[in-house]
Amino acid sequence: MTTALVVAAVLAVLAVGVVAAPFLRDPDGRNDVLERRDVLDERRLELSEERDRALLALRELEFDHRTGKISDDDYRMLVGDYRRRAAAAMRALEPTTRRRQAVDVQR
Amino acid sequence: MPDVGRAALLVTLGLSLYATVAGAWAARTRRRRLADSAGNALLAALGTSAVAAAVLLVALLRHDFSFTYVADHTSTRLPTGYTISAFWGGQEGSLLLWLLVLAAYASAAVFVNRRRAPDLAAWSVPVLGAVMTFFALLLVAVASPFTTQAAPAEGAGLNPSLQNPYMLAHPPLLYLGYVGLTIPFAFAIGALLAKRTDERWIVATRRWTLVAWTALGIGQLLGSHWAYVEVGWGGFYAWDPVENAALMPWLAATAFLHSVMIQEKRGMLRIWNVLLVILAFGLSLFGTFLTRSGVVNSIHSFTESSIGPWFLGFICVVVAFSLALVFVRLPLLRSKTRLESLVSREAAFLYNNLLLVAFCLTILWGVAFPMLSELVRGESRTLGQPYYNFFLRAFGLPLLLLMGLGPLIAWRRASVRALSRTFAWPAGVALATGLVLLAAGAGSSPPGLIAYTFSTFVLASIALEFVRGARASGSVLQLVGRNRRRYGGYIVHAAIVLIAIGVAGSAYDSVAEGRLRPGETLTAGPWTAVYRSLDQERAANALELRARVDLYHDRELAGTIYPGKNRYFAEAQTSNEMAIHTDWLRAEDVDVITDQINTDGSVYFRVIVKPLVNLIWVAGVIFLFGSLVAMWPDAREQRRLAARYAPASA
Amino acid sequence: MARRGNPARLVIALSVAAVLAVFLLYTSIAGGGTPSLKPSELPGHTGRVSLAGVVAGPQRGDGRNAPLRFRLRDIGGEAAVPVRYEGSVPDLFKVGRHIVVDGTLKNGTFVAVPGTLVTKCPSKYAPKNSDSSL
Repeated sequence: MTTALVVAAVLAVLAVGVVAAPFLRDPDGRNDVLERRDVLDERRLELSEERDRALLALRELEFDHRTGKISDDDYRMLVGDYRRRAAAAMRALEPTTRRRQAVDVQR
Repeated sequence: MPDVGRAALLVTLGLSLYATVAGAWAARTRRRRLADSAGNALLAALGTSAVAAAVLLVALLRHDFSFTYVADHTSTRLPTGYTISAFWGGQEGSLLLWLLVLAAYASAAVFVNRRRAPDLAAWSVPVLGAVMTFFALLLVAVASPFTTQAAPAEGAGLNPSLQNPYMLAHPPLLYLGYVGLTIPFAFAIGALLAKRTDERWIVATRRWTLVAWTALGIGQLLGSHWAYVEVGWGGFYAWDPVENAALMPWLAATAFLHSVMIQEKRGMLRIWNVLLVILAFGLSLFGTFLTRSGVVNSIHSFTESSIGPWFLGFICVVVAFSLALVFVRLPLLRSKTRLESLVSREAAFLYNNLLLVAFCLTILWGVAFPMLSELVRGESRTLGQPYYNFFLRAFGLPLLLLMGLGPLIAWRRASVRALSRTFAWPAGVALATGLVLLAAGAGSSPPGLIAYTFSTFVLASIALEFVRGARASGSVLQLVGRNRRRYGGYIVHAAIVLIAIGVAGSAYDSVAEGRLRPGETLTAGPWTAVYRSLDQERAANALELRARVDLYHDRELAGTIYPGKNRYFAEAQTSNEMAIHTDWLRAEDVDVITDQINTDGSVYFRVIVKPLVNLIWVAGVIFLFGSLVAMWPDAREQRRLAARYAPASA
Repeated sequence: MARRGNPARLVIALSVAAVLAVFLLYTSIAGGGTPSLKPSELPGHTGRVSLAGVVAGPQRGDGRNAPLRFRLRDIGGEAAVPVRYEGSVPDLFKVGRHIVVDGTLKNGTFVAVPGTLVTKCPSKYAPKNSDSSL
């Protein structure tokens, strides 16, 4: 019975220790904010995903064309569209990156 | 000793509760240290669950019958392996295993994503904590593995039919599957709670989902194989509610795995994806509820226990909360891209979703029908094999076809001309094969013939993909190396097709049965079984009766097999030990079952010839291989994703 | 050629309708399942039903050489019905086991459909003092 009690106590203490560790390591709590995510970050993320999607689509299009799944006509029709999309996303991304860096410098 | 176990579970409950409440608060108020603390609580819960598990394991190995659970499920004569498997052989132990696996998955998923996606991880912690709280609560208050009693001299032992290696592999694999589905669910809900509109949650949980889905699939194949070789009816799937309980979440997870590809590539089907992951998780809970509660008549089931209402309540809460959340976040989930053409790869994935979900729901209806009919008409009615087989064909055959069509269709839109060119060769091969099979007599089962024709189509289109791809990439190795998900997926598709072929083979079984005296024969198709003699041998725990049967194919001796029965002394039980002769060259199994052994030495035999059934088990290996290829880390992809999600400010 | 509006909605709606149609067609043709009854609920039912209960003695015959005869009792109840079964008898079958069998009630005896006798695996998750302990 006593061994059980001791083990249980040890477990409880260890558990509390593990749970309290973040507070013990950083008692002041400077920079306790989880992650700065604002509208700017959301927009950047959205644009990054759009850019990646367009680039991935381009890559797949090339591959499908090389393996003969897409005819030359379809390829020509689609490749221009994908390239434009990728370029547009990358263009839109640029100013947001600069804005992000500017905002961070101010902080 | 039991006190330690109980205490460990109590601490686990406390930690899970803390993870839920503190985690939610931390995510809401964006407190990093509190969020880390809540995540740490999940890790600590892993430790305490492990302690509780260790206590039970030690008690089992020491045959400590003062533990009610140990006495109920083991005996001193039980081989060590099965003593270990008794851990998950009963209600309480299996719940503890669930909790342990969940804690492991949860801590790992949170810790891996903690620095990469802090707010997503932070919101997933309370969801994971909530699920863990439920299971910990069950173990503490409703079904404790640590109840004690005055230790009897001997335990109840494990049912002989469960004493085989499958008992060691099948349940843990299934649990890795069921429980693993909690991870994508938690991250999906976490993303919704965090009001995120991006795909971070999908990227973060992709491999976890794949692992869980693969484990669930392999677990089911093992279960089917177990049923086939052990139970002795010559079949491998009976549409039993407990079997369906694993199939339903697997189908939903399959739909989910495919559907998220569309969200990644085109940003579409986002609402579908959240709903699919909720469906998959909900069904995994429902599945375990069915298995444990005894609400349905099943060959595997287990008398009514008090745990049913708890599970049902939890499932309702989870589903209600999740759906409400989806409804509230609906504006965020609306995708900006539209389906451009009904003949495009996106559309193919949509049809795939629809077919898989439809099939899944018809199975759900079939499983729930007895309960519903009792409520509505006061009389419980069951839907049997004919119902399930009908829908298996109605949905399965189009799905099979789609597996072949999908990869050949281009994104966004496919012109009919391009389609006809890409389909020409596989379609031609398939039609030719179909005609050959028809001539060979496969027309006796039209669905079987259609299944074979479609399967050939899919295999041909997969082969074409590999050939064309290898030509474009240089070699097959380079091709697969650079497109692991896609080509790993194709390998998995090939495995599924092989399973379909194996299953379709059951439509062409031949059966012969009768009572034989030594020297007499039974003929099924080209196979003849000659009963020679009956022998018995006394093993340590059973009397083994074996009939010596020679098998002839046409006139040639193919082999000698020994079907029979085992009569277990202690448990006063008989098990059927059927014999299977596998003819790899002709791709069929000949099953000989001793239905009845009479005192005068005559035996009632059943001989079943099952064409192509071995493909199912071979396919299992291919399935695993394909999955591994698909989930293998790709350094280039990792870099790209890291760059995408890294904060702009270093 | 891009389409106006969202064909996906149409596809989903049509699919749901198609599935419902298939479903209704099937259930209307095939009938709504087999009733699952307990022996106490059996009187008055004609036609094929699925009977679930616990095997009670006396047990005679073996299903092949002579028809298997036994009584099937309500789980946790008293009502019992005599059963006559010919065909494959699972090895797990014995007095005290829970079984399910299909058949029809004829002149007070439940005549079973051959091959439909299914014994439940002795409970893994049952509470300790369940009805099946013997």
